[in-house]
Amino acid sequence: MNKLKLNPSSITFLPVLVCIPLAYELFINFHIGGIELFKEFIISSLNPKINNEIIFTLLKRLNETILIAFYSWLISIIFGIIFGILSSEIFYKILNLPIFLKRFLNLFLTFIRSIHEIIWGLILMQIYGINFSIGIIAICIPYVAINAKVFSEQIENINLKTIESIKQINGIKSSTLITLVWSPVIETFKNFGLYRLECAIRSTTVLGLFGVGGIGTSIFLSFQTLNFRELWTYLWSLAFLIIISNVLLKKINLLNTSKKFLTSFVIALFCISLFSLSFFVYFIFNKNAIPFNSINNLLISNFNFISYDFLKLLFETIILGLLSTGIAISFPPIFILILNNKIGITIIRLIAFLFRLIPAPILILVLLMFNDPSISLAAIALGLHNAAITSKLLLANLYNQDKTQYTAMKSLGVANRSSWLFGLFIKQANSYLAYCAYRSDIIIRETAILGVIGSVGLGWQLQESLSSFAWEEVIVILFSYSSIAIIGELINGKIKSNLT
Amino acid sequence: MINTLLELKEVSYKNKNKFTLNKVNLQIKSGEKIALLGKSGAGKTTLISILNGTLRPNEGSVKLLNNEFDKLNLSQKSKISTIWQDLRLIEELSAEQNVNCGLLGKQTFLFAFKNLLNISSFNKAHQYMQFCNLKKSIFSKNIRKLSGGQKQRVAIARSLTQESDILLADEPFNNLDPKLTSNIKNLLLNTKNNNKIKVPNTTLISLHRLDLLDGFNRIIGMKKGAILFDLEKTKLKKFHLNKIY
Repeated sequence: MNKLKLNPSSITFLPVLVCIPLAYELFINFHIGGIELFKEFIISSLNPKINNEIIFTLLKRLNETILIAFYSWLISIIFGIIFGILSSEIFYKILNLPIFLKRFLNLFLTFIRSIHEIIWGLILMQIYGINFSIGIIAICIPYVAINAKVFSEQIENINLKTIESIKQINGIKSSTLITLVWSPVIETFKNFGLYRLECAIRSTTVLGLFGVGGIGTSIFLSFQTLNFRELWTYLWSLAFLIIISNVLLKKINLLNTSKKFLTSFVIALFCISLFSLSFFVYFIFNKNAIPFNSINNLLISNFNFISYDFLKLLFETIILGLLSTGIAISFPPIFILILNNKIGITIIRLIAFLFRLIPAPILILVLLMFNDPSISLAAIALGLHNAAITSKLLLANLYNQDKTQYTAMKSLGVANRSSWLFGLFIKQANSYLAYCAYRSDIIIRETAILGVIGSVGLGWQLQESLSSFAWEEVIVILFSYSSIAIIGELINGKIKSNLT
Repeated sequence: MINTLLELKEVSYKNKNKFTLNKVNLQIKSGEKIALLGKSGAGKTTLISILNGTLRPNEGSVKLLNNEFDKLNLSQKSKISTIWQDLRLIEELSAEQNVNCGLLGKQTFLFAFKNLLNISSFNKAHQYMQFCNLKKSIFSKNIRKLSGGQKQRVAIARSLTQESDILLADEPFNNLDPKLTSNIKNLLLNTKNNNKIKVPNTTLISLHRLDLLDGFNRIIGMKKGAILFDLEKTKLKKFHLNKIY
């Protein structure tokens, strides 16, 4: 008998097996208590509420969302670039600094990156109370580290020979450094940095669900009062905001702007970074942070792991991450394969857009209308939200590639689905899996939000510990989250390097 | 009096436990036009990389104007310019921005920053680009859009803007047509006079083609990391060449 051989294409489909335990748990937890509400939720999507009061609130909330998202995006990009340069090897090579500084900085950035912005938000809210700046700082902390990682990876890709040739001109070190890193930084900003604004809008919305402000807060309040028509008004306007921001940012072409504008732009960026830094320092040291004084309690902690089934929660969090990743990887190619025609693809695009639009916490609340809280339910919500993101990339890559192999197979009379599989998908499987490995890093971090809402995993315990100012528990949970995320990142890094 | 600009004493360089340069002694004096000959793998590129300080020798010493290379400051080091075999231009920048990079050794950080923003002065870069027979229409073009010959001349213009004392060039005539080869050789050997342009009067160029030896006054032959002969051009005989090819 032949041995089973796995290749990237088959590995992409295999995670669909997670559906077996998911379907079982969802089946035994199913109830029809909220079916009517669910129907109303769906119907309301086509009939959003529009009146003067709603429009006024909407504009106010959108304004808050734009301010938080734009400002946190801008700051995280500026400091992401700075830390990206500081954490790249080229910086230490040119300035002849000891390399252990880079390792120390990378460790610090890995830690702050591994904790989701929602967790930072919850912690800061608990320390400083609800405040407009909380949203900006909470998003900026992990975003700076994420952006720094991406910028640093691109800077590391600079050809060693180019480095030597510029070094050989023997200009002052700062001139040599900026000349070398400029192009990768600008390219990464155009390819990755602009897309981060959309992420910042989403993060602002999710933070809003937890009370930071912006449109997320209105979405959550509408959901709590079961005012679905109002909820859809906010969701559609959020979709409009994301689309508009994408269109506007695509129009920006830094290289074709006038010299005067460019100079003013650079001066403005410099001023913003200085202001942000001073504001951050002021915020941290000049605000009332009485609850945080209980950090002293850590030294006399009587923390007991067994008292709240800590290991069980840790295990639940890992399982939640794995199940969600399975859905995010396997659902897009399976559905594209099944519905492989123009109408089918349009339907997939539309559904994926909706799942990207609806924040995962709202998605789980909708699913709770006809299912009891469970890991499976949280995994479905998180998995579908992320599958919508992976499907966007997969669809773009599938239909923008060279189609000669596909048309050749079709001309031989091969069935439509087989031609798609062997003519189009097989060429994208590797890069799709590599992207999914990166995505699973984000999924692991996002388990925190779903935990808070869906009463599973460490997220739930974090909420409880924060509410009772049990800082010793908070610290342990943060380190646990961080450890899971870092281990996941290391494993995914290995997978990515094997695939690319 | 003829000054010794660069001096190598008993220089050895090992790469993966294998000598690519073995106890090389060399003196380069002001005004010399040196052709460096040898088969691929003879050690020509390693020698050039040691001379410009990109590689540190495992043994021996390298001196510029009688000073140990490691103890030189940046302005002293910038007396040497190099044209690399693979050009090593910054692909994402325009031709004029690349040429302006040659001025980094004499300018401040602000100049580097303005160059990247495309708002610096390009007067000097343009002078050198015109000297290298580059047309105005390609000045602001991205390097990726230029032909091989145009890129070669941009790399030459970049090294000339350094206004160095010594020019090292690693096989700069590869993949060029005969007319362009002759033009570029004339540029590097400073046979074309121009008051506004300073071309280094000391040159070391590694070559493969023996028909390009006109204009050089000293010939060095290398094989397996060692210098087999080092003599005046007029004394070069066929048997010398047979030793290295």
